[in-house]
Amino acid sequence: MKLGIAGIALRLAVIAAAAALALGAVNSVTAPVIKERKARELQEALSSLVESGTIGDKQVVEQHPVVQGFYPVSDEKGEPHAYILDLLSIGYGGEMKLLAAFSPNGRVESVVLMENEETPGLGKKAENPEYMEKYIGTGVDTPVPFRKDDLSREEADAVTGATITFRGIGTALSEGSEYVKEQLP
Amino acid sequence: MTAFQDFSKGLFKENPIFVILLGLCPALAVSNQVVNALGMGAGVIFVLLGSNIFVSLLKNFIPEKVRIPSYIVIIASFVTIVDLVLQAYLPTLSDSLGVFVKLIVVNCAILGRAEAFANRNNIGRSILDALGMGIGFTLGLVLIALVREVFGAGTITIFPMGSFDGVIRIPGLVDAPVMVLALAAGALLVMGYLKAFFNWLEMRRKGVRA
Amino acid sequence: MTYIGIIIMFVFVNNFILSQFLGLCPFIGVSKNVDSAIGMGFAVTFVMSIAALTTWAIYNFILAPLDITFLQTITFILVIATLVQLVEMVIQKTSPPLYKSLGIYLPLITTNCAVLGIALIAVRSEYSALESFVAGIAAGLGFLLAIVLMSTIRERMDREWVPKPLRGTPIAFITGGLMALAFMAFDKALLNNLVG
Repeated sequence: MKLGIAGIALRLAVIAAAAALALGAVNSVTAPVIKERKARELQEALSSLVESGTIGDKQVVEQHPVVQGFYPVSDEKGEPHAYILDLLSIGYGGEMKLLAAFSPNGRVESVVLMENEETPGLGKKAENPEYMEKYIGTGVDTPVPFRKDDLSREEADAVTGATITFRGIGTALSEGSEYVKEQLP
Repeated sequence: MTAFQDFSKGLFKENPIFVILLGLCPALAVSNQVVNALGMGAGVIFVLLGSNIFVSLLKNFIPEKVRIPSYIVIIASFVTIVDLVLQAYLPTLSDSLGVFVKLIVVNCAILGRAEAFANRNNIGRSILDALGMGIGFTLGLVLIALVREVFGAGTITIFPMGSFDGVIRIPGLVDAPVMVLALAAGALLVMGYLKAFFNWLEMRRKGVRA
Repeated sequence: MTYIGIIIMFVFVNNFILSQFLGLCPFIGVSKNVDSAIGMGFAVTFVMSIAALTTWAIYNFILAPLDITFLQTITFILVIATLVQLVEMVIQKTSPPLYKSLGIYLPLITTNCAVLGIALIAVRSEYSALESFVAGIAAGLGFLLAIVLMSTIRERMDREWVPKPLRGTPIAFITGGLMALAFMAFDKALLNNLVG
């Protein structure tokens, strides 16, 4: 069968339209699921960072290379007793997003690594909660470690092969700690 | 050709990864963990099945002159479905496969099957062809991933089930892995040596002295 | 990120072939001699830069405002296929010598992961129009660099003895692996120290 150019275009258009419709249908099912999952993951990450208190709305921070925003955490009396900072740092594979809780005097309370493109088996190990233990409690009396010399022998061995990930997280946390001390009440 | 041959040729004789060398970008990029290789393989099997079925069904409707764009539209639709479903229901896998899910679109292996097989064969044979090629692709991918993960990280990561966290740790290797194999360079090296190994097997089979 | 930063990132740090595995098929297939490697490299650079710019416009002026970003993959690949056809026709009409040297590579580019890759990565990184264009050129130049280096090595290797099972593609992959090892010296942290 011979088709004119209009016939060819029409058939291609039919195929494309059918494809777009089918995808629209799939999207209408998955879009709300994806949105809800993302919101839930953020909530879970936030509430895993603090043991008590109410987490307030995110305050966006402009013009800071590392601190992208913060969530104030208030106790029953409404007094701020911690801040969760949204931090951006650079690892081996690119940007890393961190959420970290600081006490009002700048002490690192807890950290989770969110989106990142680190190497599986090396930098990705930072997603494990145990990885972050070396940072907890630093920032006030002891500085946040970001060089291998700051670590004990065993801890230094554990970050071997992923020094850049370690340095990136350490640098971001110490910037975060400074930000809490200087900018937040 | 028998139905069995339609299916089995993709597994070994015309294995997309090691024999025809198609679809390499995703193969190497996501072969760092066995679980990623399995996920990518499942995605490719689904897209290949969908595209082969539709191309075969529509072979009289699709005008000859615009057949490649038409195939691309069909393939891209199935890829988008895989992408959306992964994002919604398997977010961890979706994150670790990243941009490579979308890049299944340009996996030459899929367009190649539409052009070379599905547009001239009936739907039954096209399904067998898709399954064979898809499973062959997955086998190749899992083999590369197995070598890279076992030696590069000392682990085998599969799906977590119940109390089992999904990671098999290999004593001895997990503490002192050959890290380079987990990195980009390792993928190319493993691919090269595996391909050489298959060439050697083939030569031995034919009785040629290496 | 500055334009210099984007260029260094895509040429060296995130070299499409040697660290992202994008565009491997032509890297292995069209790297047997230097001339065709150069031809392929320039054809890819050309298409990538235009594709990055065009897909940026389509994403930001059509897909995002209409909230139909789920059609991203399908539109991008169609745009790239059309673009490759257009580029082929334009070059054929305006510059026959250029067509003669690039022409045979152009049809291969539609299914080159690198082109769709840069379009998707530029959108995901939320680049501006000019940044996308620069990223397209830089990623293309990175591809050119890798494929030309590879072809010179392969030309020399033709004169050396290679064990039989390793001849052809296996030794090409291993060579690529060793090049990737060398390129690991460029990392994000180094880039950050260089350009902030």
